[in-house]
Amino acid sequence: MFSNIIETAFHLIFTLDKDLLEIISLSLRVTMSALVISIIISIPFGAFLVFYKNKFQSAIILISNTLMGMPPVVLGLIIYTLVSKKGIFGFLDILYTPTAMILAQTLLITPIIISLTYEEVYKKNKEINLLLDSLNLSNFVKLKTLIYECRFALVTVTLTGFGRASAEVGAVMIVGGNINHFTRVMTTAIAFETSRGSIELAVALGLILIFISLLITLLIRSFRRLK
Amino acid sequence: MNIFPLNIKNLNYMSKDKKILKDINLITSEKKITIIAGNNGSGKSTLLKILHGIIQHTSGTINWGEIPVHEVRKKQSMVFQNPILLNRTTFENIVYVAKRKNIETNESVDKIIKQLNLESIINIESKYLSGGEKQKVAIAMSIISNPKIIFLDEPTSQLDPVYKNEIENIITSLSEKNTKIFMTSHDIAQINRIGKEIIFLDDGEIIFHDKVKDFINEKGNSIIRNYVNYG
Repeated sequence: MFSNIIETAFHLIFTLDKDLLEIISLSLRVTMSALVISIIISIPFGAFLVFYKNKFQSAIILISNTLMGMPPVVLGLIIYTLVSKKGIFGFLDILYTPTAMILAQTLLITPIIISLTYEEVYKKNKEINLLLDSLNLSNFVKLKTLIYECRFALVTVTLTGFGRASAEVGAVMIVGGNINHFTRVMTTAIAFETSRGSIELAVALGLILIFISLLITLLIRSFRRLK
Repeated sequence: MNIFPLNIKNLNYMSKDKKILKDINLITSEKKITIIAGNNGSGKSTLLKILHGIIQHTSGTINWGEIPVHEVRKKQSMVFQNPILLNRTTFENIVYVAKRKNIETNESVDKIIKQLNLESIINIESKYLSGGEKQKVAIAMSIISNPKIIFLDEPTSQLDPVYKNEIENIITSLSEKNTKIFMTSHDIAQINRIGKEIIFLDDGEIIFHDKVKDFINEKGNSIIRNYVNYG
């Protein structure tokens, strides 16, 4: 039976099954959108925190570190209450849409990217701050230099964010609703297909997720070497 | 731009409730190499960083001739004991500094590369360079802007004799081209070879400031005598 399931799963992958491709395509669109939004906000902000020391800095880092470990279902629940019809953002009418899923994934990975960026830039600043001070540079130029100097580490940070977002199921299930052909992504599809006994598609999607995870790990390893 | 005399008045520096530099008073018009020496923890690197402006002193004044401090700052550079380079090639490191100092990059960079014999390592990432090569690149980065003053914090302390000699030659040649050098060193032979005057610090205070040859022959002060004998 097990070999049949695997065989069918590979058949779905190699015949480029339409449903499978649709789910993968939406998953990648949602995750990539969340990742792009998150890195645009988080990388400059994480680096900025290294420089502009004030009483809020340690509080922001503490909050960010705490949110890193936030259970995705709780985050999903919070977003649900905010964007549901009776929520304060209900007028946006984004519940059960890919937009809500992008929002959930963005909020999930933003604290992770902020915290990891802060750590990387902090370490690099300790390493080269005397040189930057010696050159009498403005804080903005220092910030740009530090982000560039951390480029390989920040690619690793980005990939970590991608891995976290693509593997997420709880929040996107709550705010996306797992609607077929509309908000069904790989993780929610695996949960759904398994629950209704259609294990082949779930296994095929699982194999693809494992492949993506392997790809990310290999990329992180190679960027660590470059660093 | 006449930066002389350097006049330091009642300079103090405290860090975490500890007095690192105590009431430093100094006037010097020495145009070549001034050595700042002293035992570990005496405050010599701190004094160098304060003169360069990357640490703010707690009290006192520093005057470079008639020139405003912010103007002098633009004409200074510093080389650190552990050379600090960016995670780029030798060429890119030098270009980075040149661009920040608004220098026409092509000619100036080529000139520095030839001057310091860096041709063979020009495309090598800084992390693959040896200690001596890194120090030469750091010096190249510090002199690309033609500074009037260079601060060198034990630039040869981790180098083998061949690189030490090469760096000393570079430093001497810079001082002969009207670049004022302030350098910390523990190496008595080196101090004797290239230093013109010496400022000796003990526990944050200047206990000797005169010509190097007088320092070497100093008999009255036991701290200096021990330093010279064991250095």
